[in-house]
Amino acid sequence: MTDSANNNPSKDDSSKNTAGTTPPLPTQTQENDEAALRESLKRCSPVTVEAALAFRVTRDPAFVPAIVIGIVERFVEPDLRSKLKGGADDVRLIDDLGIDSLTMMEIVILVEEVLQVQINNDELRNLRSIGEVKVFIDCKLRGVPPPAPARFLPIEQIAAVMPMQPPFLFLNEASVGASGAEGKYKITGDEFFLQGHFKGNPVMPASMMLEALGQLAVLALVEGIIPSEDGLAVDPATIYFTSCEGVRCHRICRPGDLLSLSVKPKRAKMPLATFEGQIRVGQEKAVVVEEITLTFGYAGAPAAGTAPVENTTATALETTDSAATAPANS
Amino acid sequence: MPKVFITGLGFITSIGNDAAAVTQSLRELRHGMVVYPPFQKADCPVKIAAPVKDFDTDSPDPEDWTYPECYRVRREVLRSMGPNAFYAWCAMRQAIEDARLAEDDISNEDTGLYAASGGSPHLFGHLLNKMHDQGVMRCSPMGIVAAISGTVNFNLVAQFRIKGASTGFSSACASSSHALGFARDEIALGRQKRMFVVGAEDGNTDSILPFAGMRALSLQTDPALASRPFDAARDGFVGTGGAAVVVLESEDEAARRGARPYCEVAGWGQASDGHNVAISHPEGHGLAAAMTRALRSAALEPAAIDYVNAHATSTPIGDISEAHALRAVFGPSGARPLVSSTKALTGHGLSLAGALETGICALALRDGFVPGSAHITQLDPACADLNIPRETLEKQITRVLNNSSGFGGANVAIVLKKS
Repeated sequence: MTDSANNNPSKDDSSKNTAGTTPPLPTQTQENDEAALRESLKRCSPVTVEAALAFRVTRDPAFVPAIVIGIVERFVEPDLRSKLKGGADDVRLIDDLGIDSLTMMEIVILVEEVLQVQINNDELRNLRSIGEVKVFIDCKLRGVPPPAPARFLPIEQIAAVMPMQPPFLFLNEASVGASGAEGKYKITGDEFFLQGHFKGNPVMPASMMLEALGQLAVLALVEGIIPSEDGLAVDPATIYFTSCEGVRCHRICRPGDLLSLSVKPKRAKMPLATFEGQIRVGQEKAVVVEEITLTFGYAGAPAAGTAPVENTTATALETTDSAATAPANS
Repeated sequence: MPKVFITGLGFITSIGNDAAAVTQSLRELRHGMVVYPPFQKADCPVKIAAPVKDFDTDSPDPEDWTYPECYRVRREVLRSMGPNAFYAWCAMRQAIEDARLAEDDISNEDTGLYAASGGSPHLFGHLLNKMHDQGVMRCSPMGIVAAISGTVNFNLVAQFRIKGASTGFSSACASSSHALGFARDEIALGRQKRMFVVGAEDGNTDSILPFAGMRALSLQTDPALASRPFDAARDGFVGTGGAAVVVLESEDEAARRGARPYCEVAGWGQASDGHNVAISHPEGHGLAAAMTRALRSAALEPAAIDYVNAHATSTPIGDISEAHALRAVFGPSGARPLVSSTKALTGHGLSLAGALETGICALALRDGFVPGSAHITQLDPACADLNIPRETLEKQITRVLNNSSGFGGANVAIVLKKS
């Protein structure tokens, strides 16, 4: 094998740059670096290559999104690349782009090489969306600690921590990070509420979509999205719905639709936490809610100052249902 | 024991990239050797190779490869393959089509895959160079599975959703014959109903030239003279690459599907020389024992064999050793089967050889011809008593024996019978 390696033409070629005793001139080194970078990025878009070259000179983190997106795009199958257009940060690497863990490794190796950073295995595991990848790399380059990674919860873990249970649990999976929570729910067609909503025309009630968003907010609270006071944990049994503002429905959702839910905290101080939220189906907006407010208390803490309005989120949500149940385009 | 049939074949070789092209080359004695550009260096005395045509797999990046449009494949399939696995993937597609297998026939617990390859030395070298030059974490995450010797079975089992038995065989140039023998046993013993047998090699600078150091490669500069098994002036083998896939099925399964078998794999035998790490036993003892066992396994007398596809690679020692073995097995009964080495046309593909030559024998049995032993100008007197046709004969044969020998003195003989 040693003889073989010595005869390897590619090895001979690669050794040209370092052959001889005279050290290369700085401009030569620069040219070689640029050539190597272009070679590494040869299947990326020209925009990506130019951003990478500019980054090498300026070290300006503003170039990072174009570089990272361009590298991800290079590894995504052509028929899925359109999902990366428009800068949607919530596009998910595995579910939306079909990137498996080995492709993720290829992406990381190229990102490391281009940005000249080192990314550890532990840091990778919880990077699930394009937005998380961009934030992570940006923090890495600026030398600040990246935000705590989002925690992924499969249905089993969701059911284990939530007060709501099937058949009244409308989250199939979720991830909870520092800046919000995301969830998925697929309308199967078997849901009990579809039986009469409507006759011969199953449509998920808007009240149930708000319930699903409310449940995601509950999960965010339970998973500690609100900084804890005195190290206390939110008690799931203390969480109830209080109010809902600015609800707009844009799309009818039917069996077979996969709802992508997201909530972000707007303000929070015990006993109230207010979230904004939205539901999308693919790239289409389905529901937007300006404010969902929940009341909550901590385990082992004095009772919350505001009395719960109703016993369940669903019952409370019915108070806003008259506007929400109407299909947006009817 | 249930009979085992060959019901499908696939070929990516230096003499053709499907069964029809291979058959035509065999009939016309058209060889696959060329003056191979990567060898044309002052410090490289070897000039000739038998590369696969219409494929350019020189780059360590599979996305750079060019190949026939009919094999177009997604990046995620290609990324974990060296050239050998990709050739095998293409040959597998052919074999599946040839055997008329449906998806359900391929992916079930009764269908397995045995494969043989020496791995991809070029990719392994690239991986190690990168690791040493750029650091451990710059190694491609696919480097290992694309380069190590199990790469062909890893890739094919995953891509074709094989659920039955699978493993790789490593006995150098006898590897895919071992794979075929044991695959036959899997079916004969009732463990599997169907087995894919795969032999595949890269066939490039890094897989061929290391044999130059042991003086095993021909130094000829004329492609038409470079590989001359049994010729007095033979001076070594010509390296090749490619893949061959053989589909084996039980008699019941072939009948159920209405398959038209090429032939029956009637028996096989193996034996070791116990002699030298790289040189065949000078009297061919191990190979003779393997042939004897194969005949016994097939319940045939030596005189029943019409044709022997010899291992004969065109090395001075190996060919004579095989001539001794043939003499020992067939001589006492006065049998003189036709003997040829198709390596004169294909080149020697190491792990590929056994599966490729079994495939060639299956074509010969089905189509009624005996491949000639090409490029003999002056028969070595030590082989003068062998019945070696110089041209391909149009002749219906019914029983064939295929020989393979590998490093360490591993010998395998396979008996095929027209069904």
